[in-house]
Amino acid sequence: MTDEVKVETGLYYTSEHEWAKPAGDIVVIGISDYAQAQLHEIVYVELPKKDASISQGEAVGAVESVKAVSDFFSPVTGTVVEVNEALLDSPEKINGDPYGEGWIAKVKPSNWEANASRLMDAEKYKQHLATLKH
Amino acid sequence: MELKKTHIYQYHAEHGNVVDFGGYAMPVWYEGIIAEHTAVREACGIFDTSHMGRVYAEGPDVVKFLDYVDTNDIASLTDGKGIYGNMCKPDGGIVDDLIVYRMSAEKFLVVYNAGNRAKDFAWLQKNTKGFKVKLTDMSDKIGMIAVQGPKAMDILAKISTPDPATIERFNIASLKISGLDCLAARTGYTGEDGFEVFVLDDPVTDPVKSLKVWNDLIAAGAKPCGLGARDSLRLEAGLWLYGNDIDETTNPIEAGLKWVVKMKKPSYFNGRRALEGIIEKGVTRTLVGIELTERGIPRHGYEVYDGEKKIGAVTSGGVAPTLDKSIALAYLPLEYKEPGKEVQIKIRSNLVKGKIVKHHPFYDETKYGWKRVKA
Repeated sequence: MTDEVKVETGLYYTSEHEWAKPAGDIVVIGISDYAQAQLHEIVYVELPKKDASISQGEAVGAVESVKAVSDFFSPVTGTVVEVNEALLDSPEKINGDPYGEGWIAKVKPSNWEANASRLMDAEKYKQHLATLKH
Repeated sequence: MELKKTHIYQYHAEHGNVVDFGGYAMPVWYEGIIAEHTAVREACGIFDTSHMGRVYAEGPDVVKFLDYVDTNDIASLTDGKGIYGNMCKPDGGIVDDLIVYRMSAEKFLVVYNAGNRAKDFAWLQKNTKGFKVKLTDMSDKIGMIAVQGPKAMDILAKISTPDPATIERFNIASLKISGLDCLAARTGYTGEDGFEVFVLDDPVTDPVKSLKVWNDLIAAGAKPCGLGARDSLRLEAGLWLYGNDIDETTNPIEAGLKWVVKMKKPSYFNGRRALEGIIEKGVTRTLVGIELTERGIPRHGYEVYDGEKKIGAVTSGGVAPTLDKSIALAYLPLEYKEPGKEVQIKIRSNLVKGKIVKHHPFYDETKYGWKRVKA
């Protein structure tokens, strides 16, 4: 029913379908194309709180469709430096561009190397998706 | 366990996003919940409701029997008329809500919720004791399709004889639809005008007739809709969902369903004494509508607060696509029933502000729903 799921190279993924993308001294985080397709029509995003200290694996927000709520687990430990407030009025940006305009927050990581070692690269994430029922 | 399949399953498998809904393989959406919701409010959508329970009750005591199990006034029905009511336990708790149609003096069609099919049939059967009445479960022998929206009449008329316009609200009549023997009732679960069509003599093991009616309705301009839109539409209309807003621990009086409990009926019915007691003492809580005034989506089970004090829980909640707002139903103490009263709903760790609003329906009835002024 849906087009092939996009997995962007250069990003790091969780088994819960969040992504993290290092960019200079910060890490941008969001949810994967697979996650947005599963939710379909996203109608609300609860963003992490700016300046909050967050931990890898912690529920720091939520992404919701009409029918479903999906917790957003941070793929990285650190301090939230910016949140994507555009999503409050246009949550559908996550459906349209999950790796770009649909980013959720920017985090200053406290130990990115340690976080990254617990995440999957694009190849591993593709293998993970292949194990899931569609 | 393998999921049960309805009459329209073949279409769902090919076009829908199918999930396990109470043991049935049902579509949550085909194109998307919002587009399907909007189609029903603005034009016409169709829903497979073949998972619902459909029973013929027949016999010389059928009216007495139904008046014993149903809170509403079955004896008042004439041929071709239906009525919405509740079945209650002796303590007043709701076994299910249902619609009963009088086909003839000794034959009625009883329609109830999919999730309660086994429970309700057993309950009805148990209550036949002492009545000359026979029950036949027709659920797997009759297809059921809801045709809903301001254009439902026009679209159904394209494939029906005689014209369904002669069927008044809550009435049922025989029609040829797609040339096939059907019943059409002017009822639904969306708040809109429309019909619930019963495709007769169509076994679920080979449901060619129901699929033909379904496909002909689509060709006539109806949009196939899934359970997602069915839920958002009924919530906007303030219609009760069994298992969420009513169940065996709630009674019709606190649920705002006193209007289907007919104490003027001469005889005893299940729950009568308990409900008389509840009315006399007065209820302590009542089902209210809440509209959020801040961002967030309330869901079933979320707690409702007045400041620090927990005052109840959401029974149904979600986004209302027509209103572009978040709305909820909740049982709250009586002092919270007045529109305008402020409350908060706990959504994850946040207390999100809302206010009490009228909820049956939530929308403006001059603009939406079956009472609207037609343009």
